[in-house]
Amino acid sequence: MSMLRLDQIIMAAIIAAMMVVPMMSASEESLNLVSLILIWGLFAVGFDLIFGMAGMLSFGHAAMFGTGGYALALLAPQFGFLPALLVAALAGAMLAFLLSVFALRVSGLFFSLLTLALAQLIYILASTKLRAFTGGLDGIPGVPRPVMFGVDFYNNRNFFYFLIAVFVIGVAIMAVLRVSPFGNALKAVQANDVRAEQIGYNVQRLRQCAFMISGAYAGVSGALLASLMFYVSPQMLHWSTSGDVLIMTLLGGKGTLLGPVLGVAVFEVLKEELSQFTQHWYGILGIVFILCTIFLPNGIAGLFAVLGRIGKGASK
Amino acid sequence: MSMSTGISLQCENILVAFGGLKAVAGVSRSFESGRIYGLIGPNGAGKTTLMNALSGHATLSAGKVILNGRDITKLSVHARTRAGLGRSFQITKVFSGMTVLENLKLAAFAHLYRVQPFWMPAGRFADVRQSAEKVLEQIGLGRLAHAPAENLSHGDQRALEVGLALLSDPSVLLLDEPLAGVGHERLEQAIELIRRIVAGRTVLLIEHNMDVVMQISDEIVVMVQGQLLASGSPAEIKANPAVRAAYLGNDE
Repeated sequence: MSMLRLDQIIMAAIIAAMMVVPMMSASEESLNLVSLILIWGLFAVGFDLIFGMAGMLSFGHAAMFGTGGYALALLAPQFGFLPALLVAALAGAMLAFLLSVFALRVSGLFFSLLTLALAQLIYILASTKLRAFTGGLDGIPGVPRPVMFGVDFYNNRNFFYFLIAVFVIGVAIMAVLRVSPFGNALKAVQANDVRAEQIGYNVQRLRQCAFMISGAYAGVSGALLASLMFYVSPQMLHWSTSGDVLIMTLLGGKGTLLGPVLGVAVFEVLKEELSQFTQHWYGILGIVFILCTIFLPNGIAGLFAVLGRIGKGASK
Repeated sequence: MSMSTGISLQCENILVAFGGLKAVAGVSRSFESGRIYGLIGPNGAGKTTLMNALSGHATLSAGKVILNGRDITKLSVHARTRAGLGRSFQITKVFSGMTVLENLKLAAFAHLYRVQPFWMPAGRFADVRQSAEKVLEQIGLGRLAHAPAENLSHGDQRALEVGLALLSDPSVLLLDEPLAGVGHERLEQAIELIRRIVAGRTVLLIEHNMDVVMQISDEIVVMVQGQLLASGSPAEIKANPAVRAAYLGNDE
């Protein structure tokens, strides 16, 4: 179990190669694209903790993602970047806690619908009711980037290295969480929640913890996106953001550590390429997604798992 | 685990009603430590519902459940498990997608750690591995440690069910048809297994095979229409005319 499998090594190698590409070329496009993949990748890695591990389909992760963005935009100018990033993580976790108080009373489809409704409530709050703080639909421009160790992160290339550092730390923490007793308990909850409760697990508390950790990941990645774009708007809180992270995770392979990152990469690359030809890129992406769910039920990671098994068979 | 003689489980006027239907209609009964009680009764008598009421899966409309002198009526399922009440299910609920040993380790983690450790891979916990392997041998599945749980034969899954309940070291064990589906040729062996692993614990078990339940139990409790009709030694129950009329008579 703890042995590194071939498919995981391949996926890690692909992601590492992806991070090297912008270092090799001078193009700003690849730099921006991989920066986006790292940020959304971190979001998807956190999302899969509750979706792939605990088996809960949240349709409200946009709320934590956007809140992270707003937290950074509002606090970084006064308190500095890193403290604000920390608050973005805490804000994501706290909001996830608040949502869970209501949403965890129900399960299955009702959980999804309740998270969706509550997240839309946050969207409405930010876009109209709390206009004084959030700038309404116009959002907040001029979200800062860090300035530390004498490095100017307003340079996109420098900020890219900062993103790699946060991404690697985030994925490493998640890698441990997933194979820890806590991660195993979440798998047990997904496999059979009645049995998990019976052998002594506090199922509701496990679900709540997973949701909060996942919320913290969403908060950090939302903050990083706002910083990358120097801008935060209610669009980040919109339900379509929740839909995007779900599609990315399914595309890459739910229930795997690195699959969701590959899903993000495919999503972002297709979006980048297709949108140059047609404004209906989202529709084409939708068709790709439908084909993938039919022919690759376990996503891209499932494809590598098959390769890994063939490789293992050949080596014997 | 309380080994001394005394009362380990007490039902006080338990009532479970679904709408107008009283599935359990006022059951009061004490269960003595270290004895095996066979709960029998016709289909729909409320046996499983009574078990659900004891384990926390069914909400009591009235009454109390007292475990080792402590009122556990208001406790949730996992809190009752922590208090020493174990249970296996009629419909097999092992964790599929995991091996037999992984199943048992999950139960061991639940028992040994109140807060699940999140900072270290699960494979590094020697204490958990030891208790899981101990139960693995007890339930006789050592040779199947690394087999996927869902691939086990029905009988072996029943044994794993009991093993999962055993890992919380319960003083009271509720077994809902632990031998259902076990092949005839392995029945003797399975009965022996249950008698051995539950030794010292209070057991309440539901079983439809009359020969088996008479053989395995110290005392039989008969339930009819949500109420206790009679109880006594297997010999007394076999000879009880009221029981024969209400229940055993159906077989003749």
